[in-house]
Amino acid sequence: MHRLWNRIDFAFSSAWQNFWRNAAVSVASVLIVWVVLLALGSLLLVLHSLDQIVAIEKTKASAISVYLADTTPLSSAMDFKLHLEQDPRVTNVAYVSKDQALARFRQLPALDPSVIDTLGTNPLPASLDVTVRDIRDLGAIDQEVRNSPLVDKSPATNYEPNVIDKIILLARVAGIAGLVLIVGLTGLSVFIIMLTIRTAIYLRRKEIEVMKLVGATDWFVRWPFIVEGLIVGVAGAAVAVLIVGFGYRPAVINLQSVLIFVPLAFDPSYLRIVLAAMLGFGLLLGSVGSYLGVRRFLKQ
Amino acid sequence: MRVATVTPAAPQISLDRVQKTYPNGTVALRDVTLQIPKQDFVFLVGPSGAGKSTLVRLLIREEKATAGTISVEGQDLSRLKRRHLPYLRRKIGMVFQDFKLLPNLTVFQNVGFALRVTEGALRHLKPKVEEVLSIVGLEGKENKYPDQLSGGEQQRVAIARALVHDPRIFLADEPTGNLDPATSWEIIQLLLQINARGTTVLMATHNREIVDVMRRRVVAIEGGQIVRDEDAGGYHAPALESH
Repeated sequence: MHRLWNRIDFAFSSAWQNFWRNAAVSVASVLIVWVVLLALGSLLLVLHSLDQIVAIEKTKASAISVYLADTTPLSSAMDFKLHLEQDPRVTNVAYVSKDQALARFRQLPALDPSVIDTLGTNPLPASLDVTVRDIRDLGAIDQEVRNSPLVDKSPATNYEPNVIDKIILLARVAGIAGLVLIVGLTGLSVFIIMLTIRTAIYLRRKEIEVMKLVGATDWFVRWPFIVEGLIVGVAGAAVAVLIVGFGYRPAVINLQSVLIFVPLAFDPSYLRIVLAAMLGFGLLLGSVGSYLGVRRFLKQ
Repeated sequence: MRVATVTPAAPQISLDRVQKTYPNGTVALRDVTLQIPKQDFVFLVGPSGAGKSTLVRLLIREEKATAGTISVEGQDLSRLKRRHLPYLRRKIGMVFQDFKLLPNLTVFQNVGFALRVTEGALRHLKPKVEEVLSIVGLEGKENKYPDQLSGGEQQRVAIARALVHDPRIFLADEPTGNLDPATSWEIIQLLLQINARGTTVLMATHNREIVDVMRRRVVAIEGGQIVRDEDAGGYHAPALESH
């Protein structure tokens, strides 16, 4: 126990001294770790939000409204409904009359219903709301119904495939760009931590020479520098964790007020995972950087 | 253990046809064979660049021999694994011309450092440091820093540090190189005292006066070879006698 304690005490007190003796370089490495982890945490949260948005949009998008021409008789509309219901890809078809469509329209909060009243007539078409099993079939169904003479031509349906695709594309681009950025910054931070450790080793070269001379083991000599790297990693992670931890909810609330129609939500359970990942990655950066720093030099 | 290792057939330090060529091609030692029994006191003499320091470095395995075998305390150094090297070093006390003290540590801390970094139990540290400081005669100087001490005192601190592991072998590489004659003699007296306690002492030196007065075993190296090895020898070979 005494020996272990001595070892820990020596490693931590030397590492702490190294950190401050070498303060400018140490602070630089803390900053770069901080930047990497901030980028990592933000990217994970952004991608998670985009995932959530895509998931919500997908449930909405599994249905399309097929607008019927005003000239279509109700019996033909019902035949058409029956025809669609027999399609194996379709799970449900609901008929919405012109009056029902108008009633729904009046309920939209952003619109002034008096606009409709001034027209005198009901401009909204009746529709068949078709829900499908797999949203990838929506495009094909959209193509089929467009050709029917029963269907209104302006517009034929509310099918809009691009919204989801655009969000998915955005998530993919953000993911790749973020990943490239993080990989680059990771390499840079490992390099800077390595230089920090090398500087610390240089400043301690006399101690190290004596340590080896009197029979200290390689790992006894290395530990203080590994611990110094871990201190850098934890310090950088701590600042980034605080910023992301306290900044996530206000950021979501601010974005919600700007992007009214986007289903953006605060997810505290995912935030905890992100913060843990940031801390773990900070420790990883610190230990890899310092290991690379001590590895070559202690071989002789 | 002592009885088992100290037999005439197994010297404590043994070099058998040792060669050392540095990577840049310099041949530092060629065909050196030397045996040092336990409790011997040996002067290693020779001009600068003769190979004395190389020999010392080989014994603590700071360098590996290019050819031949070196054994220390019954261990073949060429087969010694790197992770076992620290334990060899703990059996060998070393001092140098430039003392190698840490300027930001006190006398007590400099000596204690050797125990701390070798994971000695800390509760034994204080009595051990006090013991070796009294051997070298530095009681009362525990809290001084190296730059507050004379050269001789600094070398005593280095000797005390080398003694904390109760080494079986004591290697001194030009220990009096930076010291005036009177102080040099004090250091030699200390080394004799250490030798009298049962520790083998090997001292590489240029100090002709000391070697001539002491009449101890002298091993002379020139051009990487042992040119003379005599008991009770002087710095230079006797004029009418060859080894």
